[in-house]
Amino acid sequence: MGHDHDGMAMDMPIPMPKGMVMLPGLVGLTPPVAPFLPGMVADPAGLPSARPSQVVALADGDTLDLTAGLVARTIRGRTYTMYAFNGQVPGPMIRVARGATITVRFHNAIDLESTVHWHGLRLDNGSDGVPGLTQAPVEPGGDHTYTVRFPDAGIYWYHPHVREDIQQALGLYGNLLVDSEDPDYYAPANREQALMLSDLLVHHDTLIAFGREAPDFALMGRVGNLLLVNGEPEYRLDVERGEVVRFHLTNVANSRTWNLSIPGVPMKVVASDVGRFEREEWVASVVLAPAERYVIEARFAEPGRYPLVNAIQAVDHYRGEFEPQVDTLGWITVGSRPVRPDHASSFAVLRHNTDVTAEIDRYRDQFDRAPDKTLHLTVAVSGLPLTTVQFMSVDTAYYHPVEWVDGMPEMNWLSTAQQVHWILRDEATGAENHAIDWTVRQGAVVKLRLVNEATSFHPMQHPIHLHGQRMLVLSRDGVPTTNLVWKDTVLIPVGSTVDLLIDAANPGAWMLHCHIAEHLGAGMMATMHVVP
Amino acid sequence: MIRPAPWLLGVGLVLAGPATVAGQGPGTPWEMPLRAGPAAPAARGEARLQFAPSPFGVAVTADGRHRYDVRITAENLPDPATLGPYRVLLAWETPRDLSTWHRLGVVRNGTSLVGTADHNKFLLVITAEPDSLVTTRSGPTVLHGMSPSGWLQQFLTHPLFRGMSQ
Repeated sequence: MGHDHDGMAMDMPIPMPKGMVMLPGLVGLTPPVAPFLPGMVADPAGLPSARPSQVVALADGDTLDLTAGLVARTIRGRTYTMYAFNGQVPGPMIRVARGATITVRFHNAIDLESTVHWHGLRLDNGSDGVPGLTQAPVEPGGDHTYTVRFPDAGIYWYHPHVREDIQQALGLYGNLLVDSEDPDYYAPANREQALMLSDLLVHHDTLIAFGREAPDFALMGRVGNLLLVNGEPEYRLDVERGEVVRFHLTNVANSRTWNLSIPGVPMKVVASDVGRFEREEWVASVVLAPAERYVIEARFAEPGRYPLVNAIQAVDHYRGEFEPQVDTLGWITVGSRPVRPDHASSFAVLRHNTDVTAEIDRYRDQFDRAPDKTLHLTVAVSGLPLTTVQFMSVDTAYYHPVEWVDGMPEMNWLSTAQQVHWILRDEATGAENHAIDWTVRQGAVVKLRLVNEATSFHPMQHPIHLHGQRMLVLSRDGVPTTNLVWKDTVLIPVGSTVDLLIDAANPGAWMLHCHIAEHLGAGMMATMHVVP
Repeated sequence: MIRPAPWLLGVGLVLAGPATVAGQGPGTPWEMPLRAGPAAPAARGEARLQFAPSPFGVAVTADGRHRYDVRITAENLPDPATLGPYRVLLAWETPRDLSTWHRLGVVRNGTSLVGTADHNKFLLVITAEPDSLVTTRSGPTVLHGMSPSGWLQQFLTHPLFRGMSQ
């Protein structure tokens, strides 16, 4: 059996973990959807080459032209036809001051309908970029104008909200960095880096096709075998000795949850989706679910070469064992010249952001009351191959709370959103997904309980994202959170019950959905209507 | 290492049927039934795993092992002094090969938060000990159990397929 550079078996229709065979009954099957790859009629040689992301600093009232288009992207020597915003992967990093409002003139030059969603921003509902809810999809060749305001400092991102499983995976994502007017908002750092983490599924040096009519890989989401930082397989950074680097991390992968670290380098977590933590904390690694952001500060005290790694415990479902996996995403090289200024003393201090705590205090009297709504996270399937159904019935003897990689790629590949229906179910009414009737008054504080059922056909973690609002994770399985931060995306492990407090301050129709792109494509979404 | 032959696995799956093992597993990845040891046949208990506090909600080590706070709820625990020269009941975490023993904490009737476990698969063993600071397990076993992840096992050694791998 041959293996490529990622240790994947090569004589299969899709990459399989080393030593794994396709199950009898699945050999020869293909997903029941037509294959799709972008620009199938376009010769990559005639396309512009993708360029690295550029920072675009915009002032209040400025306008940006943003085009989603086809590009030729070369990764590890192989050129693929992919997508990019303004020819850049990631798309331009839009940097603005908190409180600014900008206009974005979007042009769709790809071969699918598209939109732009401004992830995490509490912006006007009409610019949220959700097809069928806040706007019509933008046809190929079409245009749409967004008015984007930035009420909160922090790191955000933008991406399409149409067939994210394809468009996001192939390069349509970019960061939004919103600066606070407070120069002391973060502790001092010598440098800032925005890292967008993604993966790409390739085999025999070609992209694995996507489902044209519906997403494939619907059970677990598409988990790539090429791990990318800012679209590249090897991240590089040169710093001086003693530098404090502030990393703005964004997970733009369809399904992968990361566990990032820089062995030998102290790190602290200072902020997440919609602002800073109450208290900074030292961390050994950073767990980052799809669509989540974390702001990390690291100090490189000694000269040397330090890897940025993703270290996880994969589940080998055939052998019934955990397999440690370490992927090196890049290297940080620390020179011998001491940095000036030296922020060692301020880095050594963990800040307590009393202003964050004071603002959250306004909501504490709501923490202990009963939930306003309880949603169960589950799945229904029909028409999957019999072998898949039988294998899963055995495999569900145990489910890991978080699956870090795809341990059953052939079954996952063969499952599409036509057979797999991911569900948000209202405990009170039994209504599911868009049938859930959920209206709240603007200014209400809503307590939402999410229960990720452990006994469904395929229990799996879900990163749940709420558009246009902010929320606090009050507790997990009854244990209160002791260091709060405003979030827009929260990871719900298998079998967990998580209580959220939503600050429903922003009027409009807002989606709540799983941010595993294939789960969203398989129906796992509802709408919260916030009415004045 | 035994690898299942594909055809044998296929036969096993067909025999298994879609609902054969429903209810055999632990129910959730968080529940851990405990069994009485011979020294305390009347003892009853269960452990509840929860992610240890983490700013990320999901607590893991740098190499990706989940970190769980372990709460043990027990009843009918014996007075350790009745089992020998012992004064406390202590919980230990050990991997399946018993290569290392990590002392957790004191277990009493009722619910006790005993510490943090971080092996992928592990056993919980509650023993009677001379004091709460001993570093080596020496006393009789009162309760024991396997982490829910212990249900993750090679298919052909799964109870469903017992006898098929020979």
